[in-house]
Amino acid sequence: MIERLLARLPRGARAVAVGGIVAGLAAFWVALPPLHLRTPIPSILIGLAALALGGYAISRGVKRLGWGAVVAGVAGIGLGYLATRSSVDHLDQVVVWSALFAAMLRYATPLAFAAMGGIFSERSGVTNIGLEGMMLSGAFFGIFAADKLSSWPLGLAAAALSGALFALVHAFFAIHLRADQIVGGFAINFLALGVTGYLFIDTYAGEGTPPDVPEIPDVHLSFLEGWYFVGPILGQLNLMIWLAFATVLLSWLVLFKTPIGLRLRAVGEHPRAADTVGISVYRTRYAAVVLSGALAALGGAYLSIGFVNSFNQNMTAGRGFIALAVVICGNWRPFQAAAFALLFGFSSALAQRLPAYSESAAVLFQALPYVLTLIAVAGVIGRSIPPAAVGRPYKKQ
Amino acid sequence: MTETPPEGGGKVENPRQGGDYAPSVAARVAVWHKAGGIAVPLLTTLLAFFIGGLVVLATTGKNPLTTYKAIFEGSGLNWFLEVGSYEIGIPWTESRVWFPWDTSFNSFAALNLQQTLIVYVSLVLTGLAVAFAFRCGMFNIGGQGQYLVGAIVAVWIGSELPGLPGLLHILVAIVAGALSGAVFAGIAGFLKATVGAHEVISTIMLNYVALWVGVFLFGLGGPLQNDNVGGESVPVSNDVLEESKLNVFWGDPLLQGLHVGFFVALAALVVYWITLNRTTLGYEVRAVGFNPEAARYGGISVARNYVLAMAISGTFAGLAGTLDILGWQFRLNTNDIFISSIGFVGIAVALLGRNTAIGVALSGLLFAALLVGTSTRNLDPEIFRPELASNLTLLIQGLVVLFVGADVLILYLFGIRRRARQRQART
Amino acid sequence: MDERPVLELRGITKRFPGIVANDDVSFDLRPGEVHALLGENGAGKSTLMNVLYGLYTPEEGEIRIKGEPTRMSSPRDAIDAGIGMVHQHFMLIPVMTVAENIVLANEPTREKVLLDYDVAAQRVRDLSDTFKFRIDPNARVEDITVGQQQRVEILKALYRNADILILDEPTAVLTPQEAQELFEILGTLTREGMSIIFISHKLNEVTEIADRITVLRRGKKIETLPAAGATEESLARLMVGREVLLRVEKGASTPTEPLLQIEDLHVTDDRGIEKVRGLSVQVHGGEIVGIAGVDGNGQTELIDAIAGLMGSDSGRVLVAGEDVTNESAKDCLDAGLGHIPEDRQRRGLVLDFSLAENLALHDYDSQPASRLGWLFPKRLVARAQGLLEQFDVRGGGPQTHAGGLSGGNQQKVVLAREIDRNPKVLIAAQPTRGLDVGAIEFVHRRLVEERDEGRAILLVSLELDEILSLSDRILVIYEGQIVGEFAPGVSEEELGVAMTGGGRKEVA
Ligand SMILES: Nc1ncnc2c1ncn2[C@@H]1O[C@H](COP(=O)(O)OP(=O)(O)O)[C@@H](O)[C@H]1O
Ligand SMILES: [Mg+2]
Repeated sequence: MIERLLARLPRGARAVAVGGIVAGLAAFWVALPPLHLRTPIPSILIGLAALALGGYAISRGVKRLGWGAVVAGVAGIGLGYLATRSSVDHLDQVVVWSALFAAMLRYATPLAFAAMGGIFSERSGVTNIGLEGMMLSGAFFGIFAADKLSSWPLGLAAAALSGALFALVHAFFAIHLRADQIVGGFAINFLALGVTGYLFIDTYAGEGTPPDVPEIPDVHLSFLEGWYFVGPILGQLNLMIWLAFATVLLSWLVLFKTPIGLRLRAVGEHPRAADTVGISVYRTRYAAVVLSGALAALGGAYLSIGFVNSFNQNMTAGRGFIALAVVICGNWRPFQAAAFALLFGFSSALAQRLPAYSESAAVLFQALPYVLTLIAVAGVIGRSIPPAAVGRPYKKQ
Repeated sequence: MTETPPEGGGKVENPRQGGDYAPSVAARVAVWHKAGGIAVPLLTTLLAFFIGGLVVLATTGKNPLTTYKAIFEGSGLNWFLEVGSYEIGIPWTESRVWFPWDTSFNSFAALNLQQTLIVYVSLVLTGLAVAFAFRCGMFNIGGQGQYLVGAIVAVWIGSELPGLPGLLHILVAIVAGALSGAVFAGIAGFLKATVGAHEVISTIMLNYVALWVGVFLFGLGGPLQNDNVGGESVPVSNDVLEESKLNVFWGDPLLQGLHVGFFVALAALVVYWITLNRTTLGYEVRAVGFNPEAARYGGISVARNYVLAMAISGTFAGLAGTLDILGWQFRLNTNDIFISSIGFVGIAVALLGRNTAIGVALSGLLFAALLVGTSTRNLDPEIFRPELASNLTLLIQGLVVLFVGADVLILYLFGIRRRARQRQART
Repeated sequence: MDERPVLELRGITKRFPGIVANDDVSFDLRPGEVHALLGENGAGKSTLMNVLYGLYTPEEGEIRIKGEPTRMSSPRDAIDAGIGMVHQHFMLIPVMTVAENIVLANEPTREKVLLDYDVAAQRVRDLSDTFKFRIDPNARVEDITVGQQQRVEILKALYRNADILILDEPTAVLTPQEAQELFEILGTLTREGMSIIFISHKLNEVTEIADRITVLRRGKKIETLPAAGATEESLARLMVGREVLLRVEKGASTPTEPLLQIEDLHVTDDRGIEKVRGLSVQVHGGEIVGIAGVDGNGQTELIDAIAGLMGSDSGRVLVAGEDVTNESAKDCLDAGLGHIPEDRQRRGLVLDFSLAENLALHDYDSQPASRLGWLFPKRLVARAQGLLEQFDVRGGGPQTHAGGLSGGNQQKVVLAREIDRNPKVLIAAQPTRGLDVGAIEFVHRRLVEERDEGRAILLVSLELDEILSLSDRILVIYEGQIVGEFAPGVSEEELGVAMTGGGRKEVA
């Protein structure tokens, strides 16, 4: 096992490039708390090293990673310089590592749920751009049921059910009617927006959701309390965050270590081949899409009854789309996708704290996760290879 | 289309091509073209309204027909039904002639219709923005962002440069607004052409970028926030200058009459048709949209067409934002930016109109009427709560998009009726 | 030998929109025999087998397995009935390993839920050893040769304990040597009691390995006859329904100056593999140079590099003396290149364009089709009218969508467009793939005529027959290099040796 892992580590020029990227990050990091170097010289030196490593890697033909190192180096120098120019107070306010990491986990959780859903759906060959809508329906029906039935587990169940229902509609149009999957998925988003908005206004009119809705509880790990750094991050996390970890692990197991996963991937790669060995393409795809809807909705329910404890029209604000980007960047693999979910979660966490720098530019930082998504998707495409049949309807003869 | 395997040869089918995530929408475009006719969109609409009616009935117990009638009257389309004997002035003269419809300021229907047509202008343009990219095989979900960028630039230019003479000022603002939309959309086209980033993801992300940039610019302390006395606490732009406002040709300028941008929208429809069907650019765009591989083989630069088609799409959307600002909004506040969704409605307009000029012209009217008919201002709250109704509009919009994607279903339902008729005819 | 058939098809009729693919076809298979199904492209062979395998539902007819009427509503039923099928297009998942492909849907498990990959690989290895297949269970399918992929397909059937094996045009992608090896494998299998349906449109192999032959023509069964005593001529007449010329009539060539020159070309594909490795070719005006080779030895990349559809790393390409190395597709076309592409549906035509628009694909942006960016659709139609008549395209007019034509007529449209441009160099990549005999004759005749017009023609084909009957010179491509040059009289065996790298040393 360990040998296999070691064998997958980058070698040669690739290792150099990875080193360059790490150096680029380090160039920024040295200027931040707790190190707080107040002169830009170290950042510049480390950043230049990153540039050199990147340049070497590019000259050896490792283009993509090499350019990554160059970009990281330039960014490291720039950001490091900016950090040394801003006051220590500001830095300390923004960069509280433990709080940042805890926030990162909170923001990453809905993304992780939806992304796992997206992976199942797309691995089976159905593009699911309706993740956003399914997430939104989970957010609404989660809080709606939790409120009306006075129970958060029932809220979660209702959320999952609602997501699954929307997904079922998507599946029916995508699979049986062979509709364009992107158009159909987008319709789901409109529908979910309309349905949740309609019911929200109808039920909660002007007042909004009541403040005393049962919430998903936090998990207190009291033994972690005194631990440096780890304690504040992991000591008091919402149950759903732990469930997200479990979901990622489980998704990987199912997809890559069970016959079910093998068949599901076969359906997404070459449906006719799967058909000729007796696998039902339609049934597999229905199951995968419905599961993806339920997972995305759980992510949404976490937003409404685990995170902010209220509901607003269109409250998911594009997180479903970011989850889709997470799927693509993560190469349709659970662990890689989870890593990207964390990255985007981190950028959201940062965007939340950055306004300490400047009042007026505060809102501009809100765009950070979206810009990052844009860059990430542009950067990894070509390296990430989608399931061959994704988006293509299958026609039984 | 992808399922009939190429003839001959026995090697493993490898349906993968470098970097194409989810196939283009080409196949779907093709089906729509072949299916042709107005029957399917019409049935789609009816079905969507029928289901929307069921929702009304189920949730409020109200008669959906009454609701729809109220929406219809709120949209002002009933103006066309109120035929009578009226007069209209001929422009630039004093003389008045007979006219079948009431154009006086006190006709409610006329007032409502003006609102509908104002919305129609932006819906046609954002619809074309989606449609043009579609014909090149791309799904432009970024109409909203491109619209916002156009509006932002228009409000900026429209409220600055006081020395410029009126017409020139308007022209400069329009050109700048349209171009900024083009550039903004071009980013997505460029990313698709160079690194293969799927336009759906990139245009969605660009929407959010435009939104937050707008909120930043006009928000509290933002660089373009108004410099009115006591305006520091209001997150709104400056007003556009009087001379850069568009002329109102029907109705009272003070009551948001219909501005001349209406003709720009109509002209855009014509330009759209001509570009696609009568120019080599349109030939290239359509070839790329149907089959990029064959286009490339034919010597057409696919990358160039992706960028160009997106830019042209962005021009339409940017124009929509510009005309809205210069025609009736005159300023942008951050709340408008948050709640605006004209660009998204454009998607439904284009899809229902099957990406043809005439289709967009018709479906644009439908959605404009829906939007205006359900607005707080026009819908009688006694009959149906407007906040609910606007969500109903969203619902209908979603159903329309869902059903247009599934012509198979519609054709199937249609087929049942036809078969039934045939059976009847036989007996 | 027990003469009771293991399999019977009775009165199978299968219709597709606008065509009856199988019309009341009956067929039976005896235990341990090789029964060949012979017919030209589009005769309905694959359709019949797909009906048998549960992929298509027939409108009429009955299937009996060992005397029992059996409903085949899905491939599952066929597999359960002991039928295995090697499809014309292999049903393998390129990104998965051999073992994963073979055990798919019948996976060995651990603790009932986990996939036991090691056991799967071991079983595949055992099976492969039994038949001396030498297949690595852990190799990814996309990394092994086509011949090996075919064996993986056969293993798939064996793993499922099939006793009836259907092979749909199995030799289409093999070299003569590989085909011989396949025949030996089939021999072993029949000795073990397997019954085999062997589909082909090649007369020589059918007479070589079949016990009985059933001929299909236009969806109808013509005759079932014992292979012993059948001659190629008699079979050809049954298959086509008239006398056919088995060779193309052409005079001697009169080569002029070199029009296509390729010097030391290197091309790397998008997976980073060097597919063309220092290849040089000259084609003179007035001659047809045929490039023979097993699929995947760099033919596609070579053509794409010449046509400006793929960049090259080094080397030069000259069309009519003009250097077009790494120029755009447009520049290559302008230099005087015509290109009949390998895949007319994916590349050669925009299926949703009208024929008029398709015919303008290369010159829509020049006079008279357009002027200053303004397109004249009427002129496109007028020109198309003439061309369609000239090239005898049937089944539609200028306004018909290209997708609505049959394969042969589509190819005529492509031919019309490429030839009408009056190119100096014409590349014909698999120009008759999937066509029926009539269309094949038309294309061949036309290519010879164009040669006699003085064009330089580069013919790339996987069909040795085609190469042998059309070419004035034959080059063999192997792993991206030309490994031998032969005169048209060369034997298939000799070519076959070169195609698998056997002739390499004599050139190097
Ligand atoms: N799925 C399908 N839909 C419509 N027509 C088909 C389909 N499959 C085959 N055909 C048509 O049926 C006829 C027989 O095809 P096929 O069985 O593939 O021939 P063969 O295998 O003998 O070359 C051809 O005319 C072909 O175009
Ligand atoms: Mg066949």
